[in-house]
Amino acid sequence: MWKFTLVLILSIGAIAQAQTPQELVQDAIQKQQAGDLEGAVAEYKQFLKLHPEATAIHSNLGAALAGLGRFEEAVPEYKTALRESPALAAARLNLALVYYKMGRIADAARELARVRAEDSENEQAALLLGDCYLRMRREKDVIRVLEPEERKHPDDPAIAYMLGTAWIRDNQVEKGQVLVDRILRNGDSAEAHLMLGSAKMNVADFAGARDEFAKAVALNPNLAEVHVLYAKALVLTGDSDQSSKEFKAELAVDPFNFDSNLQLGATRPGDPGVRYQLALIALDEGKPDEARQMLETLVRESPQFTEAHVSLSLVYYRLKRPADGKREWEIVQKLTAEAQAKQPGAKAQ
Amino acid sequence: MKFNRREWLWLASSFGAAQSLGGQSASGQLQPLFVEVPPSASGIAWVHENAMSPSRYLPEALGPGCAFLDFDNDGWMDIFLVNSGPSDFWKPSSPVRNALYKNNRDGTFTDVTEKAGITGGSFGMGVAVGDYDNDGWSDIFVTAYGKSILYKNNHDGTFTDVTEKAALAAPGWTTSAVWFDYDNDGRLDLFVCSFVDYSGVRKLECGNNQIGRNYYCVPRVFKPTASLLYHNNGDGTFTEVSKGTAIAKALGKGLGVVATDINNDDRMDLFVANDTVQNFLFVNRGPGSNGRWNWEEIALQANVGFSESGRPRSGMGVDAADLNGNGWQDLFVANVDHEMFSVYENNKDETFRDAAQGHGVARATRLLSGWGLKYFDYDNDGAVDLFLANGHPDDMIDNYSMQVKYKEPLLLFHQGEDRKLHDVSESAGPAFERYFAARGLAVGDFDNDGALDVLIAVNGGAPVLLKNNAAKGNNWLGLRLEGATCNRDAIGARILWKAGGKLRQRLKNSGGSYLSSHDPREILGLGRATVVDELEIHWPAPSKSADKLTNLPVNRYIRVIEGRATF
Repeated sequence: MWKFTLVLILSIGAIAQAQTPQELVQDAIQKQQAGDLEGAVAEYKQFLKLHPEATAIHSNLGAALAGLGRFEEAVPEYKTALRESPALAAARLNLALVYYKMGRIADAARELARVRAEDSENEQAALLLGDCYLRMRREKDVIRVLEPEERKHPDDPAIAYMLGTAWIRDNQVEKGQVLVDRILRNGDSAEAHLMLGSAKMNVADFAGARDEFAKAVALNPNLAEVHVLYAKALVLTGDSDQSSKEFKAELAVDPFNFDSNLQLGATRPGDPGVRYQLALIALDEGKPDEARQMLETLVRESPQFTEAHVSLSLVYYRLKRPADGKREWEIVQKLTAEAQAKQPGAKAQ
Repeated sequence: MKFNRREWLWLASSFGAAQSLGGQSASGQLQPLFVEVPPSASGIAWVHENAMSPSRYLPEALGPGCAFLDFDNDGWMDIFLVNSGPSDFWKPSSPVRNALYKNNRDGTFTDVTEKAGITGGSFGMGVAVGDYDNDGWSDIFVTAYGKSILYKNNHDGTFTDVTEKAALAAPGWTTSAVWFDYDNDGRLDLFVCSFVDYSGVRKLECGNNQIGRNYYCVPRVFKPTASLLYHNNGDGTFTEVSKGTAIAKALGKGLGVVATDINNDDRMDLFVANDTVQNFLFVNRGPGSNGRWNWEEIALQANVGFSESGRPRSGMGVDAADLNGNGWQDLFVANVDHEMFSVYENNKDETFRDAAQGHGVARATRLLSGWGLKYFDYDNDGAVDLFLANGHPDDMIDNYSMQVKYKEPLLLFHQGEDRKLHDVSESAGPAFERYFAARGLAVGDFDNDGALDVLIAVNGGAPVLLKNNAAKGNNWLGLRLEGATCNRDAIGARILWKAGGKLRQRLKNSGGSYLSSHDPREILGLGRATVVDELEIHWPAPSKSADKLTNLPVNRYIRVIEGRATF
């Protein structure tokens, strides 16, 4: 998308006479087009010191930073551009893409919805918005956004997959089935294998599901949740090493993927840190006695585990056992004091 | 040669129009919720001196605080700003002083510091304003690394340093302080946060970072200290009374404090934010059998001491308010980056749950370090909102972190009808696009328009004064409460008001934020209601009275005196 931005900047720049700031911008654009993003970033910043009001250049700088993977820095540049020129649809779409890559799906959805509100014909925004809503489990919104798109592009497997999945999740199975059939008729696509794999998982054909998911990953590794589904099938067929790799691959696409975060912890069941997290989950789920048992075992095995003592104290208080809570609290105080005594500030008196 | 501004604006606008590809441009410009009042307009020319040195002594990084107060009782909020000063690690090459700015009632201020005689003299940190002698005039307590100072108001625009006479020379390194009446005897007592034991270790160098220079030591390396509680003897003197209580036993690294009543027992409790050690929640259990006051520290069991993962965080700013309007005080703590801030909702049983995730506050603050903050109803719609001032303590953080910056943006959260806090910073105005090394934050209505404005103290920079435009269209009633048998500032009073068919309530807390002190008046947000049907003031003990007023006109300040149901 930013290529279009650059072309426009070049054409506008050509109107003006050759001047040093303009040459700086043109040089930055050339560097950006040539893949020298670091160089482009430096020159854009240099230029913006002279002309901070140049909205479009903030957008260009955002694109260059995003290209370098410096998403956190790209966001404020796009925001600056949009504050001054809210109608910069390209900048807003790029901002949404950056959010998407950062795993900030809700933020991406918000920006995409604004792009769509201003340009209802923007199909790229529609597809991405549908994908965001699917990841956010907002099935009705997926349907609202993608149903018109599906009518326009009945052969698009991505739209069919997302809309079909949303309909099925929304208990509109018959509608979903129509799209599933359409995907399957189109032969060898990642979406088709994902659908087949899911069907096989449902009937406990885990080996069959694993093979379907493997094909889906090979065909489109960026398909939503493809890695995590493959990983789950690998776990169920005994390949824990490969499953960990797939869970990590899912995290690379979606850092907040719940299943991946959970499973990567659970595959190290002996790890005190993992067991501690499981105890916290039990506490959060309103099972303080279960949490107590886990934490008591943990502090017996790891008596210096201060955080576990903190949580155990809290659990005792919740269980109306204040004497035990106070005992654990005193252990926390002792461990904290011991840790403090090892700090350089204690020795330098 | 440079392009002129017009050419570039044209370029930008042409570009935007072309890119919209037929889409509509944005609708008309919204007025910013808060507008910065520049020094050229306010007359506030003072700039904080942080004394930053190559050795990076930690006190340099923590100040300053600020306050809204009406020192001359003219009904207009004046401004006090705390500065650094001479210390055992710094000798200023030119004079450094605090600043007192008198409100000229026209949006401008005049520096009256020299006449007032409150220039300081030590390495100042924070400020707590309160009428400790119940004479109807605001007194000022200034915390410091070194000598803290109590300035008594002389009623003529001047103050007298009465620290020694009052026995309030708090030792060590003090930060936030709060005036409140813990024993309900009608006189304001003083709680003073003590930070770390810096004596003898100031030459400790923390360095060898990625750019080969000293940086500010993480407070974890320094020994914790106990905070201080001073009882007001009623004769102009104070007695430090924490010995033998939970306050003296609780070794912390206190930075922020708020006095509130977390269990609705009409005794003011204390919530203290500590840096790198657990927070403290001192619950006031009343007089003890041993002649000492009975304080119980319950932060761990109350679920406000540690993170949900059992770890102490770097607590800095704090506040309390009835966020969800259920009659119970909720708490807030700002922490350092990657720890996220906490929105503690009261479970009504002396425990809390951290609702920061649900409010979206956790994610918004993930990369920020928070100091000054305030729960307040900025748009007078009747619901409590939230303002956060941020900045990383390490001035070199930009050099070795891709994500965290030294100067950070302000954040504004608005409470919606869904009772959730919504981040509205993006639409709050240009000030929210800027980055600051913010520290103290005070709220106060400096132009008496019924909308609470915000003052932010910046480390090593000029203060930022933000005028509130967000309350236009909503009605309000401002209260200046005046205790007679209870403390004159009426801290601990419960206010109930009915307007537009809604009954709301508020507890007059004290303190909150970081190193700062706020407008003592209470502004009740009424939304579209055009009359306050009923107003009840339940005065704190030893008063036993409650005053009730009806059919009050709106959009004005009224003075309500204990025991006189008139205004």
